[in-house]
Amino acid sequence: MKLSFSPEVEAFREEFLAWLADNRPSQEEMDADPALSSAHSPAWARAWTKRMFDAGWLVPGWPPERGGRNAGAVETLVYMEELTRAGVPRTTNPQGLGIIAPSILDYGTPEQIEQYAMPLLLGERTACLGMSEPGAGSDLAALSTRAVRDGDHFVVNGQKVWTSGANYAEFCFLFCRTDPDAPKHKGISILLVDMDTPGITVRPLPEIVDPEHPDLNEVFLDDVIVPAENLVGVENNGWIMANGSLAHERSMVWLDSVMRLEYQLETLVEQTPALIAGLPPMEQGVALDQVMSVYTDVMAARCLGYRGFAKYVKGAAAPEQALMKAFASETHQRMGLVASEIQGGHAIDMLGGIGIESDTSWLEVYFHSFASTISAGSSEIQRNIISEKVLGLPRS
Amino acid sequence: MELEFTDEQLELRDNVRDVLEGQCPRSLVRAVYEGEADADARVQALWTQITELYWQGVAVPEELGGLGLTFVELAIVAEELGRATAPGPFLATVTQFAPLVLAVGSADAQQRLVAPVAAGERTGTVAFAEGDRWELSAVRTTATRTPDGWVLSGAKTTVLDGTTADDVAVIARDAASGAIGVFVVPGTAVKATARTVVDPTFVVTDLTLDGVVVPDSAVLAAPGTPDVEEQIERAWQEATVAVALSTIGACRKIFEDTLQYAKDRVQYDKPIGSFQAIKHRLANMYLSLERATALSYYAALTIAEDDPRRAEAAALAKAAAGDCQRLLATDGLQLHGGIGYTWEHDLHFWLKRAKTGEYLLGTATTHRAHLAQLLGLTPASETKEVAA
Repeated sequence: MKLSFSPEVEAFREEFLAWLADNRPSQEEMDADPALSSAHSPAWARAWTKRMFDAGWLVPGWPPERGGRNAGAVETLVYMEELTRAGVPRTTNPQGLGIIAPSILDYGTPEQIEQYAMPLLLGERTACLGMSEPGAGSDLAALSTRAVRDGDHFVVNGQKVWTSGANYAEFCFLFCRTDPDAPKHKGISILLVDMDTPGITVRPLPEIVDPEHPDLNEVFLDDVIVPAENLVGVENNGWIMANGSLAHERSMVWLDSVMRLEYQLETLVEQTPALIAGLPPMEQGVALDQVMSVYTDVMAARCLGYRGFAKYVKGAAAPEQALMKAFASETHQRMGLVASEIQGGHAIDMLGGIGIESDTSWLEVYFHSFASTISAGSSEIQRNIISEKVLGLPRS
Repeated sequence: MELEFTDEQLELRDNVRDVLEGQCPRSLVRAVYEGEADADARVQALWTQITELYWQGVAVPEELGGLGLTFVELAIVAEELGRATAPGPFLATVTQFAPLVLAVGSADAQQRLVAPVAAGERTGTVAFAEGDRWELSAVRTTATRTPDGWVLSGAKTTVLDGTTADDVAVIARDAASGAIGVFVVPGTAVKATARTVVDPTFVVTDLTLDGVVVPDSAVLAAPGTPDVEEQIERAWQEATVAVALSTIGACRKIFEDTLQYAKDRVQYDKPIGSFQAIKHRLANMYLSLERATALSYYAALTIAEDDPRRAEAAALAKAAAGDCQRLLATDGLQLHGGIGYTWEHDLHFWLKRAKTGEYLLGTATTHRAHLAQLLGLTPASETKEVAA
């Protein structure tokens, strides 16, 4: 156990910080042309991705030809800490970089890599992930969007929903059913579908927070023709890609949410004296107790994250990692609740603003937190995973 | 930040656990609970065994006869002793008395008082709380200067091992100046009353100091010694994290037994652990346990590295251990159903250990309030308390 990293890791941090200072997009540049969804890349974002790729900072754990520098896991963690601390997004298309490009690199043909994966890494294209459907949410493998082989192409019919960034994405990593007779996990295939293909209709689904900037969409597929060479990997074997993400970065997906929690906690702690100043002593005590309870949660999230990561680096089982998603997102929710409750009457003021957190009210933070407790495996699904995979309880 | 144990630390943990499974079986705990004739002798034999293995000297510097390891190793032992609900003088002697002497005592006092602890020859405790507040601002016990030395008068509450410890370090206030000092008196010099408490593996006492004369040679830190309050607080951070981990150890045992019970107990032709209502409660218990564990070893590490965050981290650890026992005791008993409610089942030993830990050295609420003070969030009109 150590509170600090080794000198080698700290040297790596310094090297990245120096490069970042010279090459980062400026705040003015980012504010002038903000990303409007999770698959929208403004000009500055495209250039930024390309600069990171060329310098080997896009995916530090990969080799130079894929935008990296063969860095280890601890170095990659430090890189992510500094990027988040600097307030610079690594990408404005997180699913493209984190899930879709790595899956194509692992399972795709050389042509798919050249036309779909590398353009994501070079900031030339953006992509969305077509998974959830009206009848397949938590039970994702029940998806029914149908792809029927017809000679040199597939014909796709069906509907996707909650598709982040579909309103801006240039192509979709689409999960379809290719064998309706097989058990549900065994008849699924992945197709790369250009979003401008005839038969695709995208309908944005504005959210309860910031409805002017929808990120979620419904995607309707009506006799969409997809070339057979756009099948990724082996037909009917697509489910193995459902959990795909950068393998070595999976151990640190918690970092972003924990750092966001810390940032917001700092704001809350700064605001607390003013928020409670006018309250009677008894209410002050209750308010402080609740704020300190959230403080404890945020510090615990940080410690759990680093503890699980240290186990992963040692090659040991890291059960903490299964806890992080539910814990961090629920802590976020509690923070929004606690902070808005001590805010009193002004908690209901609409402050608006693009993007998510910094300019919005605590009540909006509370509402927005449901994006994390519901999506990508709800808190209830997380508890099933913890109890079955970590605790070894039988399936119901 | 590397918050995982080293291989050596894991080995220590496994070793301590193995020894306690053999030397502190459930039958020993039951003997203590039921006041069996040989209980005291068995508790003494366990302590002898522990001292032969040198756990009492883990974090004592080598020049005083200890192993010179860090507070993290001491924390590991404290957690395992909690997991075994082990009776004995470890918490009071090793996590309270020795750290306090090391923090405020002269080299000579350390040699005189800590070396015998490291050697397993003497035990000690600290008489701190008054009105069950482990805070310097709550200390009303007075030390009055006389030609023969200092005279202590006052009442201390909830002192561990007050009837059994060889040496008692008393925190008192100079009757003249109000400054805090620390005095060591023989256990025989104080009037100690052992309370009948819910968990008899703890010896919990109240002390009366009725004009106890302390010669200058037994003054650990005279009132007015620079930084004495800060040094007491630092020592007390170690004591606090140790109680947190002892509590967490008991909670871990509750969790393991409850999880096993949910796998074994069949109703409606299925293990009850297959029902989501049970599964999700177990997932919450596990999360609460890991939350408290991660924070407590973070706190142990800040102490081991003497990091400035140690005061905050100790408060976080005790607060999280409190949250943990609250959930683990409640759900552990509830999920065991009727069998866990019987005296014959052993579950209640761990429930009572976990609950008792919450009330020693400040509850979760007290430590959250202390955390707010450390962060400068308490309203300015209140006087700053120096808390445990």
